[in-house]
Amino acid sequence: MSENFDNKSSINNPDPNYWRSFKELYNDRDLLEKKFNEFENGVTDDFDPNTNLSGLSRRKFLALLGASAAFAGVACSDYRDKGEIVAYNIKPEEVTIGKPNYYASTCTGCNSNCGILIKTREGRPIKVDGNPEHPINQGKICAKGQANILNLYNPERIKSPLRKNYNIFSETNWQYVDDNIINVLSNATDKEIAIISNKINSPTTLKLLDEFKTVYPTSKFYFYELFNDSVRNSAWNKCYGEGTFPLIKWDEAEVILALESDFLGVDENRIENVRLFTQMRDVDAKKFNRLYVAEAGLSLTGMNADYRLKIRPENQLEFVLGLLTELNKKGVIKSSFNFNVNLFEFVKKFNLDEKRIKYLLEDLSEKKGKSIIYAGESLSEEVHIAVNLLNELLGNTNLYRKDIRKENLSGISDITEFEGLVEKIKNNKVAAIIHLNCNPVYHLPEDIGYKEAITKVEDVFTLSETMNETCQFSKYVLPINHNFESWGDYKVRTGTISLSQPVIMPIYNTRQLEAILLTWLKKSSQAYSDNIYHDYLKLNWQDNIYPKFSQSLNFDKFWYSALHNGFITFQEDVKSNFAFKNDSIKFDNVSVSNNSFTLLLKESYSLGDGRFANNGWLQELPHPVSKITWDNYAAVSLNTAKQLGVKENDLIEVSIENRKLRIPVFIQPGNADNTIVIELGYGRENSGVIATGVGFNANKLLSKKSNYSPWIYTNVKVVKAPGKYILASTQEHHNFDIPREQDLHFKRDIVVEGTVTQYLSNPNFLKDEHHKEHESVYKPFEYTEVKWGMSIDLNKCLGCGDCVVACNVENNVPVVGKDQVLKSREMQWLRIDRYYSGSPDDPKVSTQPMLCQHCDLAPCENVCPVVATTHSPDGLNQMTYNRCVGTRYCSNNCPYKVRRFNFYNFRDHFRNGYQENPVFALLNNPEVTVRSRGVMEKCTFCIQRISEARSEAIREGRKVRGSDVKTACQEACPTNAIKFGDINNPNEEFYHYRNHQLGYYSLAELNIKPNVTYIAKLRNIRTEES
Amino acid sequence: MNASKLDFLLRTQLPLIVFVIIASFVLTYFISRPERDGVGYTPDQPIQFSHLLHAGQMKIDCKYCHTTVDKTRFASVPSVSTCMNCHSIARKDRPQIIKLTEYYNNNIPLPWKRIHKVPEYAYFNHSVHVNKGIECSTCHGSVEQMEKVGQVNSFTMGSCLSCHREAHDRFPQLKDQINKGPEYCSACHR
Repeated sequence: MSENFDNKSSINNPDPNYWRSFKELYNDRDLLEKKFNEFENGVTDDFDPNTNLSGLSRRKFLALLGASAAFAGVACSDYRDKGEIVAYNIKPEEVTIGKPNYYASTCTGCNSNCGILIKTREGRPIKVDGNPEHPINQGKICAKGQANILNLYNPERIKSPLRKNYNIFSETNWQYVDDNIINVLSNATDKEIAIISNKINSPTTLKLLDEFKTVYPTSKFYFYELFNDSVRNSAWNKCYGEGTFPLIKWDEAEVILALESDFLGVDENRIENVRLFTQMRDVDAKKFNRLYVAEAGLSLTGMNADYRLKIRPENQLEFVLGLLTELNKKGVIKSSFNFNVNLFEFVKKFNLDEKRIKYLLEDLSEKKGKSIIYAGESLSEEVHIAVNLLNELLGNTNLYRKDIRKENLSGISDITEFEGLVEKIKNNKVAAIIHLNCNPVYHLPEDIGYKEAITKVEDVFTLSETMNETCQFSKYVLPINHNFESWGDYKVRTGTISLSQPVIMPIYNTRQLEAILLTWLKKSSQAYSDNIYHDYLKLNWQDNIYPKFSQSLNFDKFWYSALHNGFITFQEDVKSNFAFKNDSIKFDNVSVSNNSFTLLLKESYSLGDGRFANNGWLQELPHPVSKITWDNYAAVSLNTAKQLGVKENDLIEVSIENRKLRIPVFIQPGNADNTIVIELGYGRENSGVIATGVGFNANKLLSKKSNYSPWIYTNVKVVKAPGKYILASTQEHHNFDIPREQDLHFKRDIVVEGTVTQYLSNPNFLKDEHHKEHESVYKPFEYTEVKWGMSIDLNKCLGCGDCVVACNVENNVPVVGKDQVLKSREMQWLRIDRYYSGSPDDPKVSTQPMLCQHCDLAPCENVCPVVATTHSPDGLNQMTYNRCVGTRYCSNNCPYKVRRFNFYNFRDHFRNGYQENPVFALLNNPEVTVRSRGVMEKCTFCIQRISEARSEAIREGRKVRGSDVKTACQEACPTNAIKFGDINNPNEEFYHYRNHQLGYYSLAELNIKPNVTYIAKLRNIRTEES
Repeated sequence: MNASKLDFLLRTQLPLIVFVIIASFVLTYFISRPERDGVGYTPDQPIQFSHLLHAGQMKIDCKYCHTTVDKTRFASVPSVSTCMNCHSIARKDRPQIIKLTEYYNNNIPLPWKRIHKVPEYAYFNHSVHVNKGIECSTCHGSVEQMEKVGQVNSFTMGSCLSCHREAHDRFPQLKDQINKGPEYCSACHR
């Protein structure tokens, strides 16, 4: 970064226009040069023979070429041979060749347990979507759920049971391990069998564990989750005496104050949260909520806030109590408490915007009973208690859902139980440890000493899909079935139980986790059969769940209809009225002033707690805020970076007591000063070629005793460390615009925004301001039939990136790896652009999904020398791969920079041909061509789905309708921001969105007539501000 | 070398040689074209199934075996169990049927030799054509008269397009039902 960075005048007069990074804001010289240049440095480099190719000389290469040609000539004598068509011997009844089947199941990627529909073609799963009828996620599913299919086919899954011998794992068979383990368990009569698992939401699995305990009475179960809402629930318990924190009616909340909470980003219930939340960002119903976010790091929720306040986590309590005091003073609430916190002193002390606090107070008092204050899981119990009190006093408890509550079947063990386990191991009181698909060596705080302790136990058995840190300490590693190969039932809410069913036979020699336990339970390795858990599950349902229903159906019919739907719902009474107990209210240390650093450990947006770390699609999904791929980092504010004397990509050392971590810095606009935000889930070891060595293991910083909460640490020491580490961010990629300072007369209008007030007073304000008729030199083409178009509602788009992964899966988009992302060669057809505006201390953020705009007058088409990209009569900008010779002229001429070039055969290039493994052939969508090196590609508007809809229409003897087609991104979008349909048909719903008052084209002045309409974002700021 | 010999070489021999070379290339190119396109390709099949007998003499409808031809883009080759619908009773003593029954009993899928093929990047859709009333024989020839099936027409992009362009001339009887076939790229390539 150049010296301009410290330029005082530009800090005081920040560019009012959109900027994507500090470099852009301060006109960094390098960046200006980059923008001037057509291609990113290195993007057009020749291939370096030393690194990219083998050391084959030209002479040798020619010799080999000649020899192989000769061999090929001899070998391929039957040049007319076209291979074979291998027909089924007995075709399964449900399979129609060329037609997908859908099976309802349940995603086990996280504890939300969303209902899913797995699309299979000729018996192999190729895509996952949400189950539209499922009451929780209603047809939507997150990026992790979408990408879960890659884990199924992961060639690095453990392929048969492993046994450790002198620290080397060797393959063995099931009978051997089963016999040995049953022997160990049976002999453990006076010593404990410790069984460790993540939280279990399955009633049948828990029943099985109960039975396990009766057979092996010394068993003890330990459940943990790296991220959990135990603090929130214990606060609830202190306030109300019983129950757990309720679900929130986000769709009725008119004012939301989120305190350090990423309820739109990583919360367990995220898919439902965002759906309900965006129902209150509806430009047609004219319903708008106002979101206040008080947080330290810039989160996805903060990115979508109407007003954002930077408050460090340890000051949140003072803030909430200040609000309480102030509202009490104003007489909005009547409370006998007097916490003596002066909100406006607090505001002054932390240099907050007084205006925003006033607005917040006014909104909370005006919308009493229609607002909600929501504290993040990582905040301390005291904050949660204060928030519960405030919600109670404001009457916001009507926004708590009374009909349905969360279920917490297995619960979570307290950290002290794990300490007890370590103690027992030390005293030689543990016979065996069984890890049920979990990774405690990686997840548990190091100062518990679990890792050291289990080396003292000989019989450690780990049940896992892939190798991980915990497997390394195990005597036997037992491979288990993937989600899509397993049976199961899940209950995360009252009144709903979801079912999962296998959609493919186990690809490798694996067994279902529950089936393995059942075999041990029966004390004979011969007891195993492929159906053992299926029968057990069915029997449990027959005995315990079926009787709850009216008996008009016999059990088999009930069971198959439940399997078909993927879930059952039933009436279940829940206790909904809780009385607030006033005696719990006592706060110590309200006013904290802290001059040292505070560390916030967050869940990764794409990797969860690390269990998706070996998924390339998720590793390459840019972070929704920073747009960094393939790494985690320490996010700090600009001031803090200056204070530490670090720039982006410099290393810092974060230390709490004796725990230390070196990690690169990323300067995050909007971050609170002296606060460091690090995401967990990275820095995996021994976990396969994708996950291992990516990012930094910040779990090292966790401690069993925190001075604030398990995820927040105060009094952290931070110093600059020597060295650099380059982060791969996509945020400055695909630049093309010259800064407006130099070219003010070009108003680019990439993103157009307004305010709710403007819209309510004049719904056409946008068209009045921005509408300009452009003339074209071309005679317009007459589109007489269906013409495809898309509209994206930026009020609903939160910038999560779920659509990006859905597109990757649907369209066989390869993973390219960090080295290629650094060269701007990422292949995602759809990206989420994120723009900052305003000052770097307090930026406003806009997001915009950017994909091929399928312009009517597409600039790419004119420059293709081989006519590989052309226009279709239904308005699509077509890309014909087998015609493309790779000149890249089209990409150069594309104003949106949405074309992607295969600089390599990335399947071969990435991680030594990892994606060339034959098993990935099963994953690919058979309706989409797999592109090879030297070919340009881009969004096709899911042409394969359009073609299928066309042939379906012809089958039915009608014309194709716009509503017949749903693109992959549209199906995935959890907020229904994306709409797709026929531009020409006024009778269709889509027509309304295409011709919306708030609709605009990105870069409209180019007059290339895009078929993607954006519906402008309205900020719900106060009338006096707009 | 004297002048007249060189003259003869340059004036007569050389043009002649060049002409013969070019002519033979051109001739071979055009004569071998159908061969290169696979026309006439009639491979031996693992079971000597006779379309002449089944489709011709016994008049079994194409769709009895090629069940998905009007449903998906594939016509689909029948599973062994479809043959066994009849042959678990009919003609059980014939050597070909015995061989077939062996496949069935041992649960081995039948590896038929592929005859008709368009490249992988072309997504030909059977159902669209069949549902529009275009006969199987338009592309596959009179299969019901073939003892052993072979390729009759060339399956190149040129053959596809020539039909798409002059659909009404080729199928006068379908004039009211069909338009011209699509000619834009993504109709077939995606």
